[in-house]
Order: sequence, then structure tokens, then C-alpha cells
Amino acid sequence: MRKRTLKRGLTGFWWLTLTFLYLPLVVVVLFSFNASNSAATFTGVSLRWYKALLGNEQILSAFGNTLILAICSSVIALCIGCLIGYGMYRHRHRKLGWLIVLIYLPIVLPDIVFGISEMAFFVQIHRLTGLLQPGLLTMIISHVTFQIPFVALIVYSRFVGLDPTLFEAAKDLYATPVKRVVHFMLPTIKPALISAFFLSFTLSVDDFVISFFTAGPESATLPIYIWGAIKKGVSPEINAIAALMIGAVAIAAILSLTMSRRRQV
Amino acid sequence: MAYSGVTVSARSRGMVRESRHLLFTVAPGATWIIVFLVLPSAYLMGVAFMSNGTYGLPEMPLSLESFRRLAGFGFLGWSPGNLYTLFRSLWQTLVATGLVVIVAYPIAYYITTCREKWRPIMLLLVVVPSWTNQVIRTFGWMNLLAPGTPLSSLAEGLGFISPNMGLYPSNFAVTLGLVYNFLPFMVLPLYAAFEKLDTAQVEAAQDLYASPVRAFWHAVFPQTLPGLLAGTVLVAIPAFGMYVIPELLGGGKGMMLGNLVATQFAGGANWPLGAAGAILMLIATFIGLYAMRRIGKRLGGGEEVVI
Amino acid sequence: MSDSFTADVTESVDAPPVVDTDEPRRQASSIEMQGLHKRFGADTVALDGVDLTIEAGEFFTLLGPSGCGKTTLLRILAGLEDADAGELSIGGRTITEVPPHQRSVNTVFQSYALFPHLSVRDNLAFGLKMRGLPAAERDARVARIAEFIKLGDLVDRRVEQLSGGQRQRIALARALVNEPDVLLLDEPLSALDAGLRSQLQVELLRVQKRLGMTFVFVTHDQQEAMVMSDRIAVLNGGIIQQVGPPRDVYERPVNAFVARFMGHDNLFAITARQGNRLTTTLGELQAESPGAGDLLLIRPETLDLLAGDVTGVNHLPARVTERLYRGSHAEYCLAIGDTTLQATLNNRGRHLPEVGDRVTVVVAPEDLVTLSE
Repeated sequence: MRKRTLKRGLTGFWWLTLTFLYLPLVVVVLFSFNASNSAATFTGVSLRWYKALLGNEQILSAFGNTLILAICSSVIALCIGCLIGYGMYRHRHRKLGWLIVLIYLPIVLPDIVFGISEMAFFVQIHRLTGLLQPGLLTMIISHVTFQIPFVALIVYSRFVGLDPTLFEAAKDLYATPVKRVVHFMLPTIKPALISAFFLSFTLSVDDFVISFFTAGPESATLPIYIWGAIKKGVSPEINAIAALMIGAVAIAAILSLTMSRRRQV
Repeated sequence: MAYSGVTVSARSRGMVRESRHLLFTVAPGATWIIVFLVLPSAYLMGVAFMSNGTYGLPEMPLSLESFRRLAGFGFLGWSPGNLYTLFRSLWQTLVATGLVVIVAYPIAYYITTCREKWRPIMLLLVVVPSWTNQVIRTFGWMNLLAPGTPLSSLAEGLGFISPNMGLYPSNFAVTLGLVYNFLPFMVLPLYAAFEKLDTAQVEAAQDLYASPVRAFWHAVFPQTLPGLLAGTVLVAIPAFGMYVIPELLGGGKGMMLGNLVATQFAGGANWPLGAAGAILMLIATFIGLYAMRRIGKRLGGGEEVVI
Repeated sequence: MSDSFTADVTESVDAPPVVDTDEPRRQASSIEMQGLHKRFGADTVALDGVDLTIEAGEFFTLLGPSGCGKTTLLRILAGLEDADAGELSIGGRTITEVPPHQRSVNTVFQSYALFPHLSVRDNLAFGLKMRGLPAAERDARVARIAEFIKLGDLVDRRVEQLSGGQRQRIALARALVNEPDVLLLDEPLSALDAGLRSQLQVELLRVQKRLGMTFVFVTHDQQEAMVMSDRIAVLNGGIIQQVGPPRDVYERPVNAFVARFMGHDNLFAITARQGNRLTTTLGELQAESPGAGDLLLIRPETLDLLAGDVTGVNHLPARVTERLYRGSHAEYCLAIGDTTLQATLNNRGRHLPEVGDRVTVVVAPEDLVTLSE
């Protein structure tokens, strides 16, 4: 009897929490269809804010920057992180404490310290040498820096989960070092590489603080644009971009669910 | 003895090969992190000990002026503003972490009581909001808490806030934003702990202790402690350095340390002062990590808290 | 060589496999090891000077307890480990420095090490593909080996759908399909249950005899070693203790370690000797031609038990303290003075002495073996 009350209470609490988690997102999506530009009252359904987006050069370029940044940084981080992950695995019996500290540093450093360190550094390098002017390049460098650890750890844990004699079997079956990489290692860790790429991509799109401090005047991403618009005073257009980004996340969520389902079968 | 020479050369040849391999795989990433993170952070720490020059850029000579200013000593004598900000950061971190635990604990438990095929979906539902950009999520709360919205009207009607104020900007809004932001980070490790829970122990405890409260306290709670600890690390450390949420939801009276630091690099333009604030944040981060490691080691008997 | 896979079952064991005219047939290869040393870290000695010759076409077993160096030796043969010193040659060619992917040697691993990202078929073809054989040839060879090992429809399954025994056979096929000079087997049956194990022992033996290939087999199970091998090398502490056919190693162990490892417990100290008369803790015994050494080995199955007190040469009065009836035979513990002696009697329907009976133990002088500690 008592147990059932507990269970019912928990179920209620679960739905309450879900409401709490999704309410702000639902409100953003809802108001993106608002006919008026009021943030408080809903006056009717309209697509006018979405149409306004298409005509907004700044938003379109911010969208392009976000994509370029996310793709370039993820690809670079994938290559470098994959190498480190394999190195950590292959030499796991050595004392590599310094490497572990180095790998965890970008993860534990507070975003804001991360961001201003990079900004201060890039500004000074630029003043001294003229290189690394704040812009997409500096943003890509910073994003790669915080993506590397995640890629490395995912790849490392995939390797650790493998039977170590597989490496010897590949050698034993006439695979040269290059062929071992192409025909054994890369195909074996492919799922890890895919999830590492998507995680890096998501981290890049999600990031605001580090991008904000390393961006130049021409390289605003969507989050930076939204931030600026909010600071200037809320415009309902923001609801529309934000709603689109929420939509992208929803699609990603459904995809990841179906992919994990298929893997289970 | 005859083979000892061969031994040395064969072994050292292998070691050289292994070291070259280590260098080849690890060097690119290690160099990247050293050049683009360790050097910049070291530079930032150096900046904290320099003087504030024109345009807020650091200048020689070395001085501890920025730490004095961080403690509130300015041109116009001592003012408590910065100390308030510091205290507020600590307080918000504490309250938000506590609230996150209170919400996440039953949620994580509830997920483990549900059928196995639903659990991944339930976890996904908890995590998905954190996949959206922080700015957008916070913007959603701005929409919800602004003056004139149903939530604000309700709070007005109940007499919590004065008319036409709205629930944001306020310290309450910041706390809410923090709890919202970090809830998934607590649910995941707690869920992992609950899933590993040894039910035999729980049943034994129900036999031994009469009340369910005591059974929980003696059998369940200790087993979830490592998860709780991991979650606390994941929540408290980033919460202390939070920038976006107090900036958007807090207004002038809701500033936290992150805002104080950021302002020095943008509007306020006093790099050394901002760097001093960053050092404070780093110290807090490492103290937090160290403390959790220590407690985690004592609790888990060698099982490390994974960050 | 390839045709040997389809060779007639009735073909006698010693007959060479049918020669395929298209492919030069490779002879089975011998292996020579000279002065192999291997150390791990500062003070773990895995191999301490191993000299060994394995004949072409032999089923050779490395036997010993864990940590004796047998796996290290196998890994050096495979090229997965470098010897610190010493020479290794296969088929007359020195390969001490040759990396594993250039050695015509294949291994069946204890964990089978099947690639999880490949189908069974691609696992089988992996080695051929790495050597750059064209696809058509690969398919033909895989089909031939699948026929030979009788894999049937296993070839089209995924690795994770296979049972332990099936994985073992795939691992064997994946190594054999490359037609290596030497096949190395690292405790390939140890993860299987007893029934499947003896079935696969027979199958492995059949494969080896029909291919005439040199097999080097590692195990810690002396029963398995005796069943399978043409010759056995017993290792301990990185040193080869004895090399020989199973009967030699079992019946004439050269030292106490080999004797104990082969399952012998009846070892007694020789306190004095006078010609062929040995004084032991059991009493005086007459041996036919005792060698050197101060230990006497009496195998339990060579003993005979007579009821009551009977006198004669090598007749020892004893009392039965324990009897384990095992159906086909019975195992006895006998007390002779303060010493315990074990005996095994075949159950041929005659009288089996009971616990507490007084009996006389009879041992033939030619069955006594002396050895050193």
C-alpha cells in the first residue's frame, strides 16, 4: 500500500520535472509562431519571424560561421584526439600522469577562465606578431582545444574494451603496420569515431562563452548573435532561430535513439 | 654473460621504438593543449600580477594591486561590492547544488524502478534539453519569468514580488537557471549508482531495521554516495564559474564571479583585475576537485570518482 | 598444398599430401631455437637459455605450469615478442629479426581473437587479403578450408552469434587458410568444457595428421599433452626440463619436477644403495638398472596387491588406509611403516582389498625409476 503511494508520488514528480525541463523550450518554439511581437501574450499563429530570418544577412552568416566552426574543429579534433587516445591505450602501462592531467585540463577549467585565457593570449600574439587575429581561425583553435579530450577519452575507452590479442592477431595474419590501421583499427573503432565526431560537433554548437571571447567582429556564430540580440532588447526573431536550433536538437535526439535501438537488435 | 651485450641492445632498440611511437601519437595533441591552453592560462596568471595600464591592458611593473582591488580596495577606499559578488557566487553554487540533488535523487531512483526498455528513453528525455545552447535555454526562462507572464503574475498574486517587477532579473531567477542547467549532470551519475545498487543489501536492511527511513539511510544512501559525489563535482565546479545565466537572468544585483571577471576583459577593461578573479576561480576549482578525490577515495575504497 | 585440404580421408597418416601442379608444394618446416633468453623488467626471467629443435610435421607440445615460459616461447616463435638473445630459424631460414607479419607462421589464440567488426567469412579471409591475394582466390581458399574443417553455414554468421567451440574452430580455420609453415596453438582448448574439449582434441589431431603441418601446441594440462603430442617439452622457470615422446616423459621423468608435473606422487628418498639394492623409506628394493639420482619413483599402476602376508623379492607388507572406487579401477592409499604409498588396481572382476586389510605390495624391478630432485 505504502509502496504504491511512493511510486505514484514519484511518477507525479517525474512529470513535473519533465515539465520544468521542457517548458522554457516549448515557450520559445511557441512564441516563434506568435503573430505579434509581444513576449508575454500569444495573439495568433504566423510564420512572419521565420520569413524575417531568411532576409537577415547577419543571421545567415552567423549560421554559416556556426557550421564552419563546428565542422572544421570537429574534424581536426577527431584526428588529433584519435591519435592521443590510441597513444594513451598503447602506452597505458607507462607512467603517463602528466598526459592525463593535460587531457583533463580543458574539461575541468571553468569556461570563463578558458575563454579569457585564449582571448588574452591571442590578443597579445596578434599585437606582437600580427598573426592570429581574432576571428574564425582563433575560434576553431579554441574549440579544438576543448574537443580533443572528449575524442581522446572516447577512443581510449573503445580500445580498452577490446581484446588486446586482436592487435596481435592482426600482426600474425600478415597485416603491415599501415594495413593494421586501415583494415583493423579504424574499422574496429568506427562507432567510437562517429560518436566522438557528433559529440565534438554538439559541444561546438553548444558553446557560447569560449566562442564569445575568441570571436572577431566578422565571425559571430548563432549563439553570439542571439546573445547580442537579447542584450539589445528581445526581438521575436530570436524565438525563430532558437526554435530552429531546438528543432535540430530534437532531430538529433530521435536519430541517436533509433541508432542505439538498431545497435541493440 | 655472453649474451648480456645483445640483451642490452635488443631491449634498448625496442624501447627507442616504443618511445618514438609514444611521441608520434601523443605529441600533436599534447603540444596543441600546451600551446593553446597551458601557455595562455600561464600568461593569464602572470597578468594578475601586473599593473593595470592604458585601455586595461597589463603593464609592468609587477604588483599585487589587482588582488587588493579584488578584495574591495579601490581609489575611493574600501567597498564591499566585489566581496558581495564572491559571497553570492559561493552561496548560489551551494543552494543550486543542494536543490539539484533534491530534484535529481528521486528522479534517478524513479528511472531505475521503471521497465528496462524505457530507461534509455527516460535518460535521453532528461539530457536532451542540455543539448540546446545555454543561451537559448536561458532565453527561454527570460520569456517565462518576464513581467506580465503567467508565472510572474502568479508570484505577484501570492505576494512574493512587488507588482510589475517580474521574476527576472533576480537572484531567484539565477538559482532557477542554475538548477535547470545542471540537473542532467546530477541525474546521470546518480542513475548509474542506483543501477548498480545491491538489492540484497537493501532487503537485508529492511529485515534488520524496522523503519524504511533507517533502511534507506543505512543501505541505500551509502551505496549512492560515489554517484552523488561525481554529480557534485560536475555541478558545483562549473556553477561557481557560471557566466551566461547570471548575466542574463541576474541583472546588476545578481552578478557572480564569472561576470566580474568577464567585465574586466570587455567593458570594464582591467585585465589584471579580471585575471586575479580567474586565479581565484582556478583555486576554487582545484580545491573542489582535490576535496572530492580525497572523499571519493575514502568512500569508494580505491574506486575513483570519474570526472 | 592447397589440395591437401581435400585429400582423401582414407589416406594413410604418413603419406605426403597430393601435390597441386599449379602451386609449388611447401614442405612442412622444422624449427630451430638456440640460446633463447627473455627477461621482463629487471628480474622476471621468462626464458633462460632455450635450445630446442622441432622436427618438420611434428605435433610438438610445450608443457608446464603457468609462468614457466611456454607462452613466451610461443610468442617469440610468432614474432609477437623479441628474444633478448639467441637465434631462431624456421625451415632453415633465420627469422630472429623478422616482424610477425612477414613470418609464415600463424597462431590460434587462447581468446580466439576473432575480429568483431568482420563477418566470419571476412575473418577467415583476413590473412589472405593482407597478403594481397585476389578476391576470387581468397573465396576459393575460404570455401576449401570451410569444407575441410566442416564449418558448414557458420561462415555466413556474425562473430557474436558463435559459441565457444565454434569460435575455436573458426580461429583454427582462420590460421590454417594461410597455409603457414608452422601453426602455433596457445592453449586453444582451455576455455571449453570437458566434453567439447576432448572432441576438439580429436579433430585437431586429425587436421594435423592430414595436413602434415608442424604444430606447436602450448598447454598446462599433461593429459592433453600426452593425448595429442608426438613429442613434449616440459618447461619450468624458463628452462627446458625434458624433451621426448609422451611415454618417455611420463614413464621416465628425468627429475622430480617433471615427475610431479606428470602427476606422480610416489617419490621416495633413496638413503643408501648397494649395486642394484636401494634402501628407501619404504624398505629395501631391488631395481633392474637404477640410474643416478637419489629419488625413487614408483608409478601406482605398476603395483600389484596380494592378500595377506606374502614374502619375496620387492614384496612389501602394507595396510590399506583408503580406497577410492572408480569403476574401471580403484585407487589405494597404503601405509608401509610411516610412509604412504599410492597404488592403482584395474578392476578385472577379481578381489579388491578393503580399507583395513593387510596386503602385500609387489613391484617389478624393471618398473623402478630413479631420478634426481
